[in-house]
Amino acid sequence: MSRKKKTSSKRRVVITGYGMVTPLGKNTNETFENASNGRSGIDFISTFDTKGLPCRIGGEVDVGWQKEEEENSRTQRLEKFSSRGLKLLRVAALEAAQQAKLDEVTNREKIGVSIGTHGDNPKVEEMMFLHRFYDGNGNWNMKGLTQTGGYPYLQFFRRKPDVASSILSMLFNCKGHNFSLVSACAAGSQAIGEAYKVIQEGKCDVMVAGGGEATLDFMGLMGFVQLKALVEKYKTPQTASRPFDRRRNGFVLSEGAGVVILEELEHARSRGISISGELLGYGSSADAYRITDTHPKGKGAIMAMRRALEDSSVSPDEIDYINAHGTSTQQNDLTETRAIKEIFGERYKDIPASSNKSMLGHTIAAAGAIEFILTLKGINRSILLPTINYDHADPKCDLDYVPNEARSKKHRKAISNSFGFGGQNSCLCLGEYEE
Amino acid sequence: MKNEDESVVVTGVALVSSLGLTADETWEALLSGKHGTLPIKDFDANGFQCRVAAQVQNLDHSSLGVHPRDARIMDKHSYMLLKCARDAFTQSNLDKTSLAPEDIGFFAGMGMVDYKVEDLIPSIMKSMDSERNLDYNAFYSGGYQEIYPLWPLAMSNNISFCQIAISLNIKGENAVFSPHSDSGAQAIIEGMNTIRDKRTKAVLAGGVSEKISPSNLARAHLFKILNTSDRDGEKLCRPFAANRNGTILGEGCGMLTLESRSSANKRGVQSLASISGYGFAFESEEEFAGPTAGAISHAMKEAIDMAEIKPSGIDVIIAHGDGTNVGDKNEIEAIHEVFSDYLNKVNVFSSKGALGHLLAGAAAADTVLGIYMLKNGAIPPTLNSVISDKNIKFNLVNKSPLKVIPKRIMVNCQSYEGQCVSLIIEMVK
Repeated sequence: MSRKKKTSSKRRVVITGYGMVTPLGKNTNETFENASNGRSGIDFISTFDTKGLPCRIGGEVDVGWQKEEEENSRTQRLEKFSSRGLKLLRVAALEAAQQAKLDEVTNREKIGVSIGTHGDNPKVEEMMFLHRFYDGNGNWNMKGLTQTGGYPYLQFFRRKPDVASSILSMLFNCKGHNFSLVSACAAGSQAIGEAYKVIQEGKCDVMVAGGGEATLDFMGLMGFVQLKALVEKYKTPQTASRPFDRRRNGFVLSEGAGVVILEELEHARSRGISISGELLGYGSSADAYRITDTHPKGKGAIMAMRRALEDSSVSPDEIDYINAHGTSTQQNDLTETRAIKEIFGERYKDIPASSNKSMLGHTIAAAGAIEFILTLKGINRSILLPTINYDHADPKCDLDYVPNEARSKKHRKAISNSFGFGGQNSCLCLGEYEE
Repeated sequence: MKNEDESVVVTGVALVSSLGLTADETWEALLSGKHGTLPIKDFDANGFQCRVAAQVQNLDHSSLGVHPRDARIMDKHSYMLLKCARDAFTQSNLDKTSLAPEDIGFFAGMGMVDYKVEDLIPSIMKSMDSERNLDYNAFYSGGYQEIYPLWPLAMSNNISFCQIAISLNIKGENAVFSPHSDSGAQAIIEGMNTIRDKRTKAVLAGGVSEKISPSNLARAHLFKILNTSDRDGEKLCRPFAANRNGTILGEGCGMLTLESRSSANKRGVQSLASISGYGFAFESEEEFAGPTAGAISHAMKEAIDMAEIKPSGIDVIIAHGDGTNVGDKNEIEAIHEVFSDYLNKVNVFSSKGALGHLLAGAAAADTVLGIYMLKNGAIPPTLNSVISDKNIKFNLVNKSPLKVIPKRIMVNCQSYEGQCVSLIIEMVK
């Protein structure tokens, strides 16, 4: 078998499978159906007491699916290492793998895994337990702690971001390139982008790529409350996430996972698998501005979009949909709007740009992957998903955000934006599959 | 890589380790047979079976001129990364370059960034009722406000990376691979690919270890990778030794500046080495005991194929060699398989006897050491391994420095989760 890299022409990368679990549904179709009807997946948080917190809502995933999935004994053995985010990832990956018939691919060494995720948060109960063994000056009574037997050591694995990509590789028997990315809200998008590059350069033929996040617990919510990033003024949970609306005031924290199967075009053709679309390009950039703020002119966002377009050899004129990052924070939505104007010039009002986060909330490391799949699904179904809760126009945000109702419209090429806390930006360019 | 001008070269290197804050210091100490393993003093490690580590000394925010305000969400991993990123940046004259910030990329493998329980505990203590149980009402309605608002950033695996991007004004393509212990190699590979794709003009790439802390030490114990022999004097990492008994954690960071050869020539900076091949594979032993021998040899073969050479073209292997029983056994087996006909010619070195296991920092640190080997024509001894494993058929450099002028060096690295990567560096023709 020759592994020589082709330098002349870039290998094309197509999507042959996808799966997701979100606050709007247990799989891709259910999520897409609900989203095209403009439904919100946001509600009051039910899994823990939020009394006293300024934000008490979130996008929780219904975990009814978990039981049947746990029947798999191989899975059970791995259960002790699994964070909630990883559990969601497993469900999404299973849907994607089945669609792509991943088990039929013979050369397992050319299947890789690339996952953006961050692992579990510390738990209040754990802190309470640990504080009994802490002297207040940085010292631990480790003997006492280990002797109790109640030491929550598996938390160490649940917090490790790389456990996800390793366990998915074991479950789906993938022996190629394997890595995990951490870049906050850009992680899922970067995981897909980096996986695309691995296939393009010939190191793998197939990549399982995506992101998962389940930080919707007390410490997770509190962390974002502390950062003043979450919405604090809302009439109902369902109307709290309102990207680009003048009265937006923060994002809604959600959980979920999204996974795609990326495949080299000829590889997909030769095994006769159905192709859902093509990943055309990837760009990333760093704001290098401030750790807690995005660049006011959106310079990092502009660079990521420009790079993705250049990488895909697609001109801005060919793009007919923008899947916006649109978090519903004052800052992001304004700078993203500015950045889009900068890239698309006079056409800016003609290109629909909507935010899935209006319905799903912000799934952090999963967002880039989920939104990539929803964009793909929209292209295939000729449906532009709406930005719901768009009631008050903001004079500074004047794009066509596909307000409140989904729109039937043929479109062929799109970009999907993801911008991470800290200043890491990512953009993916995708399109319908053309021979 | 037919076109020489397009080959990816290294124009800056930086290394921080328990043996020194510069690559030169570490290299000199390695040649003179020093190791950095000492009893842990930063916290009370008495409850752990392994109480030693190879820690970086004398590095904090003030020595780097970091504002105390920024330092609140930084920690030792940030300082190691900052120091190395700065050094590599300066050595390759990127601080004086006309390259646009948007054309400079940044890729890093970052070890696990743990939250500090002590950051959270005061708020819990404040919310206790008289029976010392948590009063949730008190906690939720105010106790949590005791926690420093930017605390969530301090425990994010990508934040120190972003802080350093800000400090060096790097705006190009970037990613953080984390925290598996081959992630530094993945960062170097991805950095290299962005240069070949012309998505960047120069790249900082490397990896940084975790800070030695109760969490990190506990995690390593739970992975069952540490040397926990009964006698303290024997708690050393002994790569490929007959009496090896586990690894020792180390702190450190390695960073490289990468660019195309034509760019290095144009900018008038010296090309220290070129990277000509890489390969990776994944297959895990049960319960996260590292990759299988099959996966390790697969990664090495891929790298050799990509470099368009034969196994005989490799003079030195900087092995992963972490001193664990299974890890070293699998790597010995893999090297025997891949280099079967040339075993008497290939020299093997592991830095972990001296520096400990830097996890996400290991691959980049070893690559820097490989570049020093090319430059200085010497291989330092693998420490604490005088009595080598009796199965070994290759030449383990384990007694004194070996004078040899290597042309091509392979760097191996592995994660306990089962990932493995091999890189090939060579002299610039």
